Amino acid sequence: MIGFERLDSENFTVGFEQNEAALLGHLAAQVADMLGEKLSEDGVDIASDAAVARLLPDAYTDDTAAAAEFRRFTATDLVDQKVLNARRVAEDVQAAARVLEVEALDPLMVQIDAAGIQAWVRCLTDIRLVLATRLGIETDDDTGRSNDESEMLVGVYGWLGDLQESLVSALDDLP
Amino acid sequence: MTLQTERRPQTGSETEIDLTPQLDSAWITIVWNDPVNLMSYVSWVFRSYFGFSRAEADRRMLDVHNEGRAVVASGVREEMERHVQAMHGYGLWATLEKSGS
Repeated sequence: MIGFERLDSENFTVGFEQNEAALLGHLAAQVADMLGEKLSEDGVDIASDAAVARLLPDAYTDDTAAAAEFRRFTATDLVDQKVLNARRVAEDVQAAARVLEVEALDPLMVQIDAAGIQAWVRCLTDIRLVLATRLGIETDDDTGRSNDESEMLVGVYGWLGDLQESLVSALDDLP
Repeated sequence: MTLQTERRPQTGSETEIDLTPQLDSAWITIVWNDPVNLMSYVSWVFRSYFGFSRAEADRRMLDVHNEGRAVVASGVREEMERHVQAMHGYGLWATLEKSGS
């Protein structure tokens, strides 16, 4: 990974090894699909998946009726926006992969504009929240379940944290 | 139409005027600690959404981290609901409640 860089007031770049780019595009597409499947005319199904429940937490801790009412009015918009953010990340990565002169071992350089960077910073958060739920990360010092199956996910989760840190640092890097 | 006659305010200590908001309008937005979000990200969200200075954003972010929660806004209920929805958009764990509850 070549961390995020702010080029000017609106534009950013980030570079990925090709397997990293494929992984990130895949994760973003998965989050978009997962959330899209929970949408229906009745609203958003949060009961069947702890990760969705974490992305749409109760707005009231002591009033279940108010929490349900809040969700009824906000969940669809929130999910729509999260899906758009994830699709944007997947599309930006795919656009970089379509640049023809890229050699097999070259990093893919992704160009991201002002609207895109807002989608990226939120989507990286959402992907990490979903992964953390899958890994059972519940406290600040938790590194998640450790078995062969989750070992790779733990690595991906850590890598996404580095990526997010680099993105926030670039956002703070005033032009 | 009324005739305004000169009146003098009662300024005795027994007639204190309470201008604080009615309880119904006093709601707060709380952001809770979670094991996922980066400290730098939470501070950035507080600066970019609420317009806090870096020092103020960092102070509230550290409250979230060390105390488990921080109050980030107060006001009428509808406004706090908008803040909570925005925080959920950023992936932060936020709730609202009546002030003092």
